[in-house]
Amino acid sequence: MERRCFLKIMGTLTASFMLFGCRLEGIFKSAEKQVSNSIDFANRVAKEVKQALSKSGESSLFSLNLVKVTMPGEMNPPMPVLSRNRFGMAIDLDLCNGCGECIYACNLENNIPLVTQEESAKGRFLHWISMVDGVPVMCGHCSFAPCEKVCPTGAATHTPDGLSTMVYKRCAGSRFCGANCPINARKFNYNNAQELGLSYQFNPKVPLRTAKVMEKCSLCIQRLQDDRLRHKTVLDSEWDGRGVKTACAAACPKKAITFGNWLNPESELVKVARGREIYAPKALAHLDPSVVYLKGKR
Amino acid sequence: MKYFVVIIVALFSAFIMADLFFAPPAAPLRQGSRFFRHQLHGENIGLECAACHQGAEVLDHAYMPSKSDCLACHRLPLTEGPMAESLDSAFADDTYPFYNWNVKSKLPEHVVFHHGVHAKAKVSCEDCHGSRYKDDLYGGEKFTMKFCTDCHQGKTFSTKNFRTAAVYCGACHR
Repeated sequence: MERRCFLKIMGTLTASFMLFGCRLEGIFKSAEKQVSNSIDFANRVAKEVKQALSKSGESSLFSLNLVKVTMPGEMNPPMPVLSRNRFGMAIDLDLCNGCGECIYACNLENNIPLVTQEESAKGRFLHWISMVDGVPVMCGHCSFAPCEKVCPTGAATHTPDGLSTMVYKRCAGSRFCGANCPINARKFNYNNAQELGLSYQFNPKVPLRTAKVMEKCSLCIQRLQDDRLRHKTVLDSEWDGRGVKTACAAACPKKAITFGNWLNPESELVKVARGREIYAPKALAHLDPSVVYLKGKR
Repeated sequence: MKYFVVIIVALFSAFIMADLFFAPPAAPLRQGSRFFRHQLHGENIGLECAACHQGAEVLDHAYMPSKSDCLACHRLPLTEGPMAESLDSAFADDTYPFYNWNVKSKLPEHVVFHHGVHAKAKVSCEDCHGSRYKDDLYGGEKFTMKFCTDCHQGKTFSTKNFRTAAVYCGACHR
């Protein structure tokens, strides 16, 4: 290449970068992802939930296989900070008909992203609640949480109140926790949902997750902690989580899901579970889960 | 070649002219703060921070005052001071923005900071925000997670006898 020709090309490139470099955003604005409003997006979420329900029979990676357990009590091993709360849920299988309202409510509450077409065709969804044999299954918030033991970054931890929490900013995406969870309650976020226009922030209290992060049911920690802070500032009383409901429990049309405090004998949860047979998935039964199933003997 | 250079120069100057004449004006760094002096409103007339920054003592967020919050006191005209005239004209002007201070919280979305809980634990505003506001120097605080956890573990503010507080992740992170 001639020297003159080379200089000409470089000069043109430099000049065009100086002219258009700072304007690229404006030039490519037309290619920006479409901004949808909340109602449209909620409809898309509802459609995906229906799709997930229709596919739930095909691709369950484990069978539910419920076995009897005792009523969850104190955390075991005990937490370093003593707490008089252990939150959990009981799902009444005599009432539940597998309608999927809980999944929809959970998706809106926790801003759970949609998945791409290829993934949904394979039956892979990011929903924190999945239907297995017609039963809603979510993270069990186990006492001996096997997922937390293998997290290399300490993103999966337990709160003194018995919630298994995720610090999404700490998660490096090693997926060890997902491999160690016997019921596949942890969902890995493969896509950058915000860039693909697959997520919408319905609830400002829950941040949108970035790609390559493990997600799972948080037992609506934002509702619990907000109520705790409200008690501390305004009501100034001992907090035991009374009156708080998770999104799924609030949305259940049959009132099959009950949220509450296992350690408070007067909580709604203990009242519901008392005198019933308590079940848990066989894979979780030895891990002392906080989320259990009720069946028979009223 | 000549035409080529002419075209480049013409385009270059056209863009510069467009930016000069049609671009929105550059936003001032601290909008609207020219009328407000913390010095004149703070200790010397006995106003608490929460009197204007509502929610600083009970809610999660300490809000910025609106025009009507200012007018709650300034309905009565100022009798002296060099700023009196400009203040009165600004409040009389209907186009004056109702929410004058557009301060966006720098708190990341995944962190929860509740002002009310800290006020309840007898942490005063100055403990974290410093007294620079009295000298009308705004912004520039650098809060890190270490700043929070050090106090929560009782490492800092040893003379103030604050209670130690929760340091598990789920307490502040979502």
